[in-house]
Amino acid sequence: MSTSIRLTLALAVLGLVAAGGASTAQQQERPNTVPSRADTETIDRGRDMFRANCGFCHGIDARGAQGPDLARSLAVLNDDQGKELGSFLKSGVPERGMPAFPMLTPENARDISAFLHTVVDAARRQRPMDPNGIVVGDPKAGEAYFNGAGRCNTCHSPTGDFKGIGAKYDPATLQDRMVNPRGRGAKTPPPPIMVKVTLPNGRTSSGRLVAITDFYVTLTDQTGVRQTFPRDNEVPKVDINDPLQAHLDMLLKYTDADMHNLTAYLVGLK
Amino acid sequence: MTVRTIGILFAAAALSVLVHAQTQLDPSLLGKPPVDAWPTYHGDYSGRHYSTLNQINQSNVKHLTLSWLYRANTNTQGAIGGGAVPEAVAFRLGPGALAGGLLKATPLAANGVLYMSAPDHAWAIDAYSGREIWHFFWRTKGGDHIGNRGVGMYGNWLYFETPDGYVVSLDAGTGKERWHKQIVDVRSEYFTTVAPVIIKNHVILGMGGDALDVPGWLESRDPDTGEIQWKWFTTPRPGERGADTWPDAYAMEHGGGMPWTPVTYDPDLNLIYVPTGNPNPVYRGDARKGSNLYTASIVALNADTGKMAWYFQSSPHDTHDWDATQVPILFDATFNGQRRKLLAQASRNGIFFLLDRTTGQNLLSVPYIESANWFKGFDDHGQPVPNPDKEASQGGALVSPNNGGGQNWTPPTYDPDTGLIYMNAAQGYEIHYKWDVDGPTFGSAGHAARAVGGLDTSLRAFDPLTGKAKWIHKYQGTEWNPPRPELLGGLLSTAGRLVFAGAPGNFVVAYDPATGRQLWHAGLTAPMSNTPITYMLNGRQQLVVAAGDTLYNFTLE
Repeated sequence: MSTSIRLTLALAVLGLVAAGGASTAQQQERPNTVPSRADTETIDRGRDMFRANCGFCHGIDARGAQGPDLARSLAVLNDDQGKELGSFLKSGVPERGMPAFPMLTPENARDISAFLHTVVDAARRQRPMDPNGIVVGDPKAGEAYFNGAGRCNTCHSPTGDFKGIGAKYDPATLQDRMVNPRGRGAKTPPPPIMVKVTLPNGRTSSGRLVAITDFYVTLTDQTGVRQTFPRDNEVPKVDINDPLQAHLDMLLKYTDADMHNLTAYLVGLK
Repeated sequence: MTVRTIGILFAAAALSVLVHAQTQLDPSLLGKPPVDAWPTYHGDYSGRHYSTLNQINQSNVKHLTLSWLYRANTNTQGAIGGGAVPEAVAFRLGPGALAGGLLKATPLAANGVLYMSAPDHAWAIDAYSGREIWHFFWRTKGGDHIGNRGVGMYGNWLYFETPDGYVVSLDAGTGKERWHKQIVDVRSEYFTTVAPVIIKNHVILGMGGDALDVPGWLESRDPDTGEIQWKWFTTPRPGERGADTWPDAYAMEHGGGMPWTPVTYDPDLNLIYVPTGNPNPVYRGDARKGSNLYTASIVALNADTGKMAWYFQSSPHDTHDWDATQVPILFDATFNGQRRKLLAQASRNGIFFLLDRTTGQNLLSVPYIESANWFKGFDDHGQPVPNPDKEASQGGALVSPNNGGGQNWTPPTYDPDTGLIYMNAAQGYEIHYKWDVDGPTFGSAGHAARAVGGLDTSLRAFDPLTGKAKWIHKYQGTEWNPPRPELLGGLLSTAGRLVFAGAPGNFVVAYDPATGRQLWHAGLTAPMSNTPITYMLNGRQQLVVAAGDTLYNFTLE
């Protein structure tokens, strides 16, 4: 392997690093492909040649017509600089209707490969979700649910704490927070979880819950003092009072329509 | 030369022979309950993660104490090198960063040595002292460094998979590379994490990677030469059985189904049980209408030929990345009055399946968590029928479990003494959205899943014959943000009437399997990240767990 090819390969994989860093949290477990590594002229030549010779079957964007979508082609994905693709194109797969291109030069193959790698990049590069595009519910039904079956009005009011809430959050974040108000993106901190610890001798300590595991519970009491109690098989007794418990209980009850309608209603509270 | 020096030389020569002999793993150990060794990923072939040892038991587990810890050495200076390229190509985690700093591998224990691995790294560690014997570093070409689940061992040879798609064979005594073979091409965004399982003279390997709609398969290689013995593709080709569950040849050839976790095996039936991964495109099923065999399935293959004996699909037409890559646990029991060879799986999708492992016949299908809401019921074969209303939608579909699943890749344990399966199970929720993108459906394009909390995570003692929980130990404090099951590690049960499991807050805990009472715990520096093992070393029972970048060895005081 020559130094220049090695360098190209190294840069290509380094490009993977940069693209990976920009991906969303959800995608982070999925690496990004080797991005196209050719100059614009090469890609343009490849595109022209592709459209003239291959576009009829594979579509002018290479995403498939009578012939398959080439963004998924292993012959493309596993190709470097047209070498593997070139030998594939020279012989074709006649039994599957893929003609041979015996006159193809290595330069042609390299150009076509460069273009096809841009197609792979484009196919896998997701247009991100538009958080404003998720409103599909009926605001009237949402309002009825808010004041009825959802019992949201037990704690919330469109003229009180929810005044202008539709302007405070984008719709997707609003919907997320309805389901999980302790999740990310809070503009006002959620009310704390309170805890009472009753020791075997009857003494109690109460305050804000800082942390709880099977083996300790930590709280901050009214005077701001942090206290940690060891736990052993549920001793001492720990009572948790979470003012947002109703949101957890709703998880098993919501229909998607309830959720969509509520979101549509809340989005309108500008 | 004096008599004395001759004597020393002779002793040294004898010792070297002895040391060499000691690195050999007796292959007959692989099919037996692990005692003096932990010779394969699951301990034995059954996937039970159960040990017959009882030196550590309910009466003395309180006295379990740390004997040493080993912090993963990723310094490549002084490491034995290998690789398909002259220099390691930088990747996003940085060379030597493990899988985000986590040791996920189950170590093997043989002849007083532990064999541990991480992406690009393998170590031999003296089981008495925790000192490193050798360190092997693989110069990577790239690939997803999400994890490495362990090494396989055959005689004096080790096998492990690399993020850039190779299987490497090392000399267990020296750590020197014997050969490497390419399994998959990293340019198609495959990566390999599976712990190879050695079955007779077969090294069973799989792969991962679902970014680009590429095909998946399981393969068997010769342990000596590394040559391929057979391949079994996880999706059919036109004309083959199951092809009618795909719209066309193109969809099946790009249908994914990566087998990315280790297999289990029944030596009497000579069947390998393969849990397969999700189909591709991952979340949008419009380009692959049909049930998409044999993705998200449990498949029984002949160990010598790779020919399929039967299949059961845990998630027909999966559109939530459920996979079915949870351990197919093998045990025998009397079910409805009949003694049967059974296979149990608590699948990522929240449903528990009990099968007859000779025929694949479904005996029981039941949700093992209360929150699973994505399916309508079960078909005649006991396979869940997905609810199309719970596929990703423009307005969002609220789905449980979340992407972490009710279970994930970390193994539960089956305790033959209680007849129960123990698992850390999560009840998370996620909103699945979809939107329009250019071109045909591809990879994960046009889909997002936003995690929105959940009910809880709990340790469950589950009766596989009735489908009911015997007891549930809920982890308080996990209500709003249930940890993904694999972030608590795997489980181990023993004849000492103990179950070992990770718990939130970076603990490893010993439980009474009958009641769920906590008998012992130790705080670690990070959540338990692998599956505990136990074995006898010089007459003393050991417990080994990993958390973060550190291996902890516990013994009785």
